[in-house]
Amino acid sequence: MTITRVTQNMMTSRSLEHLNAGLSRLSKLQEQVASGRAISRPSDAPAETTTAMRLRATLTEVAQHRRNAEDGQGWLAEADTMLQSMITRTRQAREIGIQAANPGAVSPGGREVLAGEIEQIRDSLIALANTKHQDRPVMGGISGGSEAYSAGGTYVGVAGQVTRTVADGVRIRVDLDAEATLGPDGANLFDHLTEMAAAVRSGDTAALRAGMDTVAGDLDRLGVAVIDVGSRTVALDRAVETADARELSMVKSLAGIEQVDLPKAILELQTQELAYQAALASTSRVMAPSLMDFLR
Amino acid sequence: MSGSFASLNSALGALRYNRVVMDVASGNIANAATPGYNRRRVEGESVGAAAQVAMWSRYEGSGEGVRVADLHRLADQFLDGRVRQERATLSYLDVRRTTLERLETGIAEPGPDGVGAAIADFRASLHALANEPGSDLARTHVLTRAQTLVDAVRTQAANVARETSDASSRLEGTLTKVNAAAGELAELNRQIAQHGAAGTDVNALLDRRDQVALSLSSLTGAVATERPDGGLDVTVGGVPLVSGREAGTLVRSSGTDVVPVTFAIRGGAADVPVPAGIRGELGAGADLLSVTLPAYAAGLDAVAASLADQLNAGQQAGFDRDGNPGAPLLTYDPADAAGSLRLAITNPARLAASSLPGGVLDGQNATAMAAPTTVETAYQRLVAGLGTEVATAGRLVTNQASLVAQVDGQREQLTGVSLDEEMVSLMSAQRGYEAASRVMNAVDSMLDTLINRTGLVGR
Repeated sequence: MTITRVTQNMMTSRSLEHLNAGLSRLSKLQEQVASGRAISRPSDAPAETTTAMRLRATLTEVAQHRRNAEDGQGWLAEADTMLQSMITRTRQAREIGIQAANPGAVSPGGREVLAGEIEQIRDSLIALANTKHQDRPVMGGISGGSEAYSAGGTYVGVAGQVTRTVADGVRIRVDLDAEATLGPDGANLFDHLTEMAAAVRSGDTAALRAGMDTVAGDLDRLGVAVIDVGSRTVALDRAVETADARELSMVKSLAGIEQVDLPKAILELQTQELAYQAALASTSRVMAPSLMDFLR
Repeated sequence: MSGSFASLNSALGALRYNRVVMDVASGNIANAATPGYNRRRVEGESVGAAAQVAMWSRYEGSGEGVRVADLHRLADQFLDGRVRQERATLSYLDVRRTTLERLETGIAEPGPDGVGAAIADFRASLHALANEPGSDLARTHVLTRAQTLVDAVRTQAANVARETSDASSRLEGTLTKVNAAAGELAELNRQIAQHGAAGTDVNALLDRRDQVALSLSSLTGAVATERPDGGLDVTVGGVPLVSGREAGTLVRSSGTDVVPVTFAIRGGAADVPVPAGIRGELGAGADLLSVTLPAYAAGLDAVAASLADQLNAGQQAGFDRDGNPGAPLLTYDPADAAGSLRLAITNPARLAASSLPGGVLDGQNATAMAAPTTVETAYQRLVAGLGTEVATAGRLVTNQASLVAQVDGQREQLTGVSLDEEMVSLMSAQRGYEAASRVMNAVDSMLDTLINRTGLVGR
């Protein structure tokens, strides 16, 4: 289009239009630099907005998975300590049994003392079996009570699994199955120790040897439980590491989408500022002269 | 032969003509920045021979000078029509964009304060509850997060409702403006017809007429056609609003809160319904109220309803702290799901974290409820859809604004006052005036010679 007539009004409105456009570009960039966000509203980049929202949701989820795994680590550490002490105590009981099994070496009074020691160990094992994490017995299953075993050595917990979700659909058990660890009620470690103490007291060597064999079996079971706890701890450690790595990479990609590339934005800001100043300067030069300046 | 005083008469005509040119130029300069002013131009014509008055009469002069033939107002009704049409589209898009942008700012996405973040935080608190089903702290935390989520959803619903009532009351205001403008245009049409018949200068009235028609078009997307008597007839969506001296009244024929919004023109015996799809501010308001805002509200309602349904189903699948079956967590009114979303339980012990009855410390049900569902994706789709709509509206406004700038420029080229041009015509008129005075002077001195010096030779 060739412009045949140009009026002062046209120039005024055109320069205003250009100044406005420049100023709005400048303010958009200024907003980005000042807020540090490339996407302030969904319309800035609708597709990226969806990605950013999904990333944010997943990020919260992954952080929660990491917290879940860390919480589980506490449970398993508690269980591990408990199992180690139980093994030590059980071995002590067995050693006492070996001592008592030596025929003729122990007087009836001595047998009574040894039997009492075994019974003491049994009581301390029951106390250990009631070890708690966050006010819940680690062997109590899903019980709402504060004990897994009664003072008599019978299970009072509610069988069930305490699990932690460490990734989408991945759950790791963090408590100890009481029956698998200590044997079923009526034939558990505590019952075996009671029988052993009785055998020591009565001096029944054959019964004592049989009792010591069953306690050895209990020790094996405890050892298996330790290994099981260890492998679950490794799985949790790995889950924490994975969650950490995922969190980091997601924070990075979220920043890539939502955060402004500062050097680039500042450079653009300066370019726009220059353009705006140029527009201002040219406007002031164009608006000033008129024929009236030259007619005298 | 022409008479002795003929030249004096032509010089007098030239003086008068140049005076008028200077008047018009100064009028143009005075109105250089007046909105809607169309520059005027004096059309001069040379005065020629008188008509032959009798069979043998003969004109022997050589022209009788100059006179003002016409005071031309530079306007092009087709260009004006184009300007009105583009302005109507621009104001339609502009109102639409402004409302959508406000709605968009209100939803606070993507960010830590939106519904998306509230859902994620709520799910995380459920995980924490699954870890410690017996902890009152974890239970209270879940309820707090649920309340935050409910508040976030309801804030958005309230935002949409506020935009709706805002758009509705603006629509009423626009209608008042439209009807006032229609009345003014009818009155102008009357004056123009009267003055035109009397032969007076109607240019100022025509300027005003075009201004009113432009504002009517911006408001309603109305189309104006020029009448033979100089007035403008205006139709909205093909239905006459102003015809000659008669102006109808544009009314909202659907009730105040009824969608879709329809309009009718009242004036004759019966109201004439205006077809849907009008432009201008009114069209934008009607579209927002009938389509855009209800669509977003419906999307938000669907998200709120499925969120509540899923969480309630989750609650009912489990057992609370005391071992009883879970009660619904959220309630809502299906007619207004997002706006009426409420937390149904206040006692933290009623949260059904366990999947087993009997008051055991199980967290399986809380874990199941913590898993993300289709609610998240549905909400993300809703937000992305709004974002796309706003971005499109913004782009359309930018394009339309440059189109409007172009047609405005074309119109300004024809009708705008150029000060330089007016200075030139002012100066040339001034010079013409001086020259005509000089002619008078010459004739005067000629007559002086003839009257005072004749017959004095040799005296």
